[in-house]
Amino acid sequence: MTIRTAALTGARNYYEDFAVGDVYEHARGKTVTEFDNVIITNLVMNTAQAHFNEHFAASMPYKRRIVFGGVTAALVIGLAMQDTGENALREVGLDKVRLSSPVFHGDTLYAFSEVLGKSAPAVDRETLIEAGEVRFRHWGVNQDGKTVFEAERRALIKMRPAGAGA
Amino acid sequence: MNDELRKRAKKLGKGNFYDDFHVGQVFEHHWGRTINEGDNSLFSAATMSYNPMYFNAEVARAHGHPGTVVNPMLVFLTVFGLSVEDLSEAGGLFLGVENLTFHRSVYPTDTLYARSTVLEVRESTSRPDSGIVSWHTEGFDQQGRLVIDFRRTNLIPRRRAAK
Repeated sequence: MTIRTAALTGARNYYEDFAVGDVYEHARGKTVTEFDNVIITNLVMNTAQAHFNEHFAASMPYKRRIVFGGVTAALVIGLAMQDTGENALREVGLDKVRLSSPVFHGDTLYAFSEVLGKSAPAVDRETLIEAGEVRFRHWGVNQDGKTVFEAERRALIKMRPAGAGA
Repeated sequence: MNDELRKRAKKLGKGNFYDDFHVGQVFEHHWGRTINEGDNSLFSAATMSYNPMYFNAEVARAHGHPGTVVNPMLVFLTVFGLSVEDLSEAGGLFLGVENLTFHRSVYPTDTLYARSTVLEVRESTSRPDSGIVSWHTEGFDQQGRLVIDFRRTNLIPRRRAAK
């Protein structure tokens, strides 16, 4: 079997497929487990124990462990990734990141995205692949419909290669 | 452990408070962190970050990389994590991040280091027990090359407000 890398990713999320003003609801949600929050918080060396010490957290205003905002950000952007970054050459940056409501173990997050803008495509100097920057706004919404996360994200997304279908 | 010993134990607190920050102050954060393949796979899988560049070495090589690329969100969270003891372990809400740029790709076996500079220190009108601090945090690889930078803002308790 010959592996064609273009066949490994979706055919409808190339640079050409994003229209400014489009809004997407991403298919999957994820319940934030204790495992997700604690393992990622500890993996990235975040030493703030309100995220991993339940006994200590009981004395804090929320009375229980709160999910690290970085975990919320990574999960929401993760939930949006297949649709908005599966064919990205690279991530460019984030801006206006807001954690508007706390997230707790057992909460379920859903992701929504809006296409805010696109820059003209060009041949990427590092990879010699044609790509253009797309700017998104992402939202993370919990099971009660409350927005818990909002951010703008820029990603350099490949143009559809010949033969990738549409 | 008996009560006598317990009473003698000196609590070794961690972190800085609002009163400890002044504009221009620089923190070279502790430890550094070598990112390995397992970190990257676990992180990308747990966060459902479905760009195969982060978990399929063949796809990454087809795009000019030596192997899998470290998920940029893992780079962000690790540089953030390394900064927490100095900047925000004392508690207080994480208010936001602005102007985050991923400057270059990071690969497994690269080591990340973090440094922050205090940009702004201001009173909170709604929370007199705390203040608002903003930092410019930079992440570097083992060759001292800038891989990420961003501005972070937190609510930080004042020293006297802390227990």
